[in-house]
Amino acid sequence: MEKILTLTIGEMREEFETKRLSSVEAVKTFYKRIKEKNPVLKAFLETREEKALKAAKESDERIAVGAQNIRALEGIPMAIKDNFMIKGEAMSSSSKYLENYISPYDADVIEKLKNAGAVFLGRTNMDEFAMGGSTETSAYQKTANPWDICRIPGGSSGGSACAVGSGMASCALGSDTGGSIRQPAGFCGVVGYKPSYGLISRYGICALASSFDQAGTFTRNVKDTAEIVSIISGKDYRDSVCEPNEYINYAENLNNNADILKGMKIGIPKQLKDYEIDEPIMEAFKKAVKDIETAGAQIIEIDAPSYKYTPALYKVIMCAEVGANIATFDGIRYGHRSKKGVSLNDEYAKSRAESLGYEVKKRILFGTYVLGAKNYHRCYHQAQRVRTLLINEIEAAFKQCEAIFTPASLQMPVKFGESLREESDIFIMAANLAGLPGITVPVSMSKDNIPIGVHFMSARLTDKRLFEIAGGFEAISGWKIQIPDI
Amino acid sequence: MTKEELETTAFLARIAIGEDEKDKYLKDLNQMMSYIEVLQEPDVSSLKPTTHVTKLRNVWRDDIVKPSPKETVESLLNAAPDKEGNFYKIKKVIEAQ
Repeated sequence: MEKILTLTIGEMREEFETKRLSSVEAVKTFYKRIKEKNPVLKAFLETREEKALKAAKESDERIAVGAQNIRALEGIPMAIKDNFMIKGEAMSSSSKYLENYISPYDADVIEKLKNAGAVFLGRTNMDEFAMGGSTETSAYQKTANPWDICRIPGGSSGGSACAVGSGMASCALGSDTGGSIRQPAGFCGVVGYKPSYGLISRYGICALASSFDQAGTFTRNVKDTAEIVSIISGKDYRDSVCEPNEYINYAENLNNNADILKGMKIGIPKQLKDYEIDEPIMEAFKKAVKDIETAGAQIIEIDAPSYKYTPALYKVIMCAEVGANIATFDGIRYGHRSKKGVSLNDEYAKSRAESLGYEVKKRILFGTYVLGAKNYHRCYHQAQRVRTLLINEIEAAFKQCEAIFTPASLQMPVKFGESLREESDIFIMAANLAGLPGITVPVSMSKDNIPIGVHFMSARLTDKRLFEIAGGFEAISGWKIQIPDI
Repeated sequence: MTKEELETTAFLARIAIGEDEKDKYLKDLNQMMSYIEVLQEPDVSSLKPTTHVTKLRNVWRDDIVKPSPKETVESLLNAAPDKEGNFYKIKKVIEAQ
């Protein structure tokens, strides 16, 4: 059983095509694992076994007919974060506001995955409207870290990270506004990727902060990521920031060859030294740097002093955009409507008060404040200018190196109720602020048997190159695909 | 942020907050005000603000009406807490004097 649970997409496809395994068997194996472990881990909010088995059966029939009928992700079991719309199915973004919401249409990425033959296992838990870094703000349940169930899985895509990390799905979709895929991926021992801004359509995904939001993936290795991204990326007129790219095969010629690192310049921010880094992470990162050097890469120090503004920049801009986006939640067209409202305005105010969590309301209030006529220039406008400063510094750094290499988090996953240090994820958050692609790759286990991840970030729209670099590193990292005994 | 500012902001955001919640909001929001201060530090007067990072401008599509399937219209309407026929039903917008 464990073998099926840890197969990569490539391996599973080979098992399917050689008839050693059927998609129905694979899907049933994952559901067995879900039934055993989800009551403890609480990664899934809801599963859809009947629908999944029907889709798996269809995949098996296609595979039986022959190669020309097999689609790119035929029969591959996948978990979906609870902020992607699947037509006719519930989507709540882990909020009470959307408790009874049924998606009227498919998100663009869902449409593409369905057409590619992927089998959806269920929807995964998240921080409410993706606002958080621990999945604890979910209105429904707390997801555990599969490697230590007293600890957080990270977030906001904690349910998806946990599902893949624990062997309850072979891959998953997530969304990343300030590290929400790449931080939990590191905590759960899986590969987590956020694309360049504009690479993947957000149509049908519940918005958080529109100038940062991107959809991305959790997988067992870099190649699987590249395979899924080849399917879900590309122009969509329904998301106007989508780059007008033609089809790109991101997995082509991706051979996990460390030779690619030979002579390559890899940058490490000088500013890493300014922050407290947990000992196990420091140790793992130093070893990774050494491995990269041994593989022939040249490590250089890059200097981007504005990293220090990242938490402030992120909070001001994100909250402003939250304030604007959540205005659509009026309790009129869908979602919760208060029964206590005495006027239209009163009804809006009470509908939100009753159905949104504290963290969400706090962010809306801060966002509304920074966008207020009196404060706009000093707060939001100023933040957007500082954002330009940071982007300029990072762009200058990419003139000296091809990728920026850092730990995925400066801190190990904390126990429930404890907080992560605010600066723990600034080096991955910079990718959202600058619209860059970033990928977390698991590298080793701590002495307490908790995974540690490292992070590569490259220039905008060089995602294919980023996969080659991360794949090259994967070949020498010594990481072994594994799932925990729970 | 003063209590009055909190109340104005909550009204603008259309979020009802109870008297007993105000202290907690004020404490947390006033802590967040330090972010604004931090961002005053660098001289960015010569820089343009970044609203988004793409170089795209004026994204157009052909102006062709694509009718939604009847079932989509129905499911959108069915999601509404209150409706009448093909309309959303809401409270009176303009109150009589």
